[in-house]
Amino acid sequence: MAIYESIVILDSLLTPKDIDNVVDRLSVIIQERGGVIRKIDKWGKKRLAYEIEKKQYGFYISIEFEGDGNIPHVLESDYNYSDNVLRYLTYRFDKYKIRAMQNAAEQAKAPAAAVPAAEAVVALKPETNAVTQESQE
Amino acid sequence: MIKIRKKRVCQFCEQNIDFIDFKDDRMLRRFMTEQGKILPKHTTGTCAKHQRQLSNAIKKARHLAILPFVTDFSR
Ligand SMILES: [Zn+2]
Repeated sequence: MAIYESIVILDSLLTPKDIDNVVDRLSVIIQERGGVIRKIDKWGKKRLAYEIEKKQYGFYISIEFEGDGNIPHVLESDYNYSDNVLRYLTYRFDKYKIRAMQNAAEQAKAPAAAVPAAEAVVALKPETNAVTQESQE
Repeated sequence: MIKIRKKRVCQFCEQNIDFIDFKDDRMLRRFMTEQGKILPKHTTGTCAKHQRQLSNAIKKARHLAILPFVTDFSR
């Protein structure tokens, strides 16, 4: 079992309901194959850095899940089948990402030491980049 | 973008950054030219290990249209 994150760019013309449907469908695919959803994040409508299929905007969603290596393949075939998916990227958390995630969780736990359930903190922790580089300019 | 020409010290090592996040486009852009090319490590001082991670991060970000492949100003 490994942790994966799948980021999908959907057509920004979809209605919020359509987007919810897509998220639900993907969640079902993951759960049907024994995966556990850790986090679902809608980044929202963003301007694309370059046009994809003549579109300037896309709606980004991110699903973080734990499961075996078969799930990314199943997701991929679903993405390829769907016309609304402009682009996707599924990647496995490497040791650096996992370490960064644990450090972020620990830092979040340190001020609020009253939280005993370490796992709950990991699951609820929003994505914070451990990158603070402003002093160089 | 301002090219960083200071001491040749890896910025990631200096700040103890282990993981380079491909979602942080503002940070990644500082290691790219205005045209969107990845700056070589002898310009930024990034060490081999971090340069490799950095270029992988930029490539992921490009795939997801977070960063451009090229920005052509000539037209
Ligand atoms: Zn370094």
